[in-house]
Amino acid sequence: MFQPLDPLLHSELRLAVMSLLVSVEEAEFPYIKEQTGATAGNLSVQLDKLSEAGYIAVEKTYKGKRPCTICRITPAGLKAFEGYVDALKSYLEISK
Amino acid sequence: MEENENLTAERSLEIIRESIEQSRRAMSKHAGTPMIWWGSMVVVFSLLIAYLWNHHGGPAWNVLWFVMTIVGFIGNRLLDKHKKPVPKNIIGSVISKVWLTFAIFVCGIGLIFCLAGFGVISLEWIAPSYGIPLTSIITFVMGMASTLTGFILKNRFVPICSIIAGIGGFFLAQCYLGGEQLLVMAAVAVIGLVIPGIILNIQTRE
Repeated sequence: MFQPLDPLLHSELRLAVMSLLVSVEEAEFPYIKEQTGATAGNLSVQLDKLSEAGYIAVEKTYKGKRPCTICRITPAGLKAFEGYVDALKSYLEISK
Repeated sequence: MEENENLTAERSLEIIRESIEQSRRAMSKHAGTPMIWWGSMVVVFSLLIAYLWNHHGGPAWNVLWFVMTIVGFIGNRLLDKHKKPVPKNIIGSVISKVWLTFAIFVCGIGLIFCLAGFGVISLEWIAPSYGIPLTSIITFVMGMASTLTGFILKNRFVPICSIIAGIGGFFLAQCYLGGEQLLVMAAVAVIGLVIPGIILNIQTRE
């Protein structure tokens, strides 16, 4: 039986962002942008969606005089990511 | 990467795998630079102190190790400033703690020997005649810290170099007296820090 895939994570960019954040304590916006190769505008929109769902925490701060956006995965985000990976496994096992 | 919601399970797994691998590579890039920096500092100061010890007034010049610590930290901060920022991660935190522990132990021991050197405490209390030379202990601990760094970074060459440097330095330093011990320290820094640092940087270069 297929497990339902979380629609919020079932998107190329949002999944990439979550996969990046799962292996770090926190990451700055330019790092995520560089690693995903996304445009700043699109990335901002996707980060907002993840943040609204409570999957990531976005902190807007300053690094010296420059504004700095820091993202970190939340426990709810980690649980959702684990659930997504488990669901993927069920798809792959059935398709074998 | 744009927003694409028509993903297959295989493509989703590929994105996860690629992102984690890419992130791991980005974080381990230039991981060897602090090892090269600190190793070079130890080599320079070992040779300098060995020369001054042998030709200009004895072991009192060991106080220069504290100068090395200050210069080293300032240089390290400058190197960090010029490096591309990488996210905080558990691997970096663990490696920092390993070297912080090393620094605390070495500085603590160094400080106690310094107090003995200035006559605040008796040298017999802290270094009886049958004791192991301080250089042996420091090279041993340095080798251990470097080996742990290699294991944490899952690199096979770094532990090999560090084990050779740490164990070799431990015994070699006992064969030499006075300033010559510091030549062993310089060799240990080259084998246990500089060479592994260069290897790490080459392996993580894109």
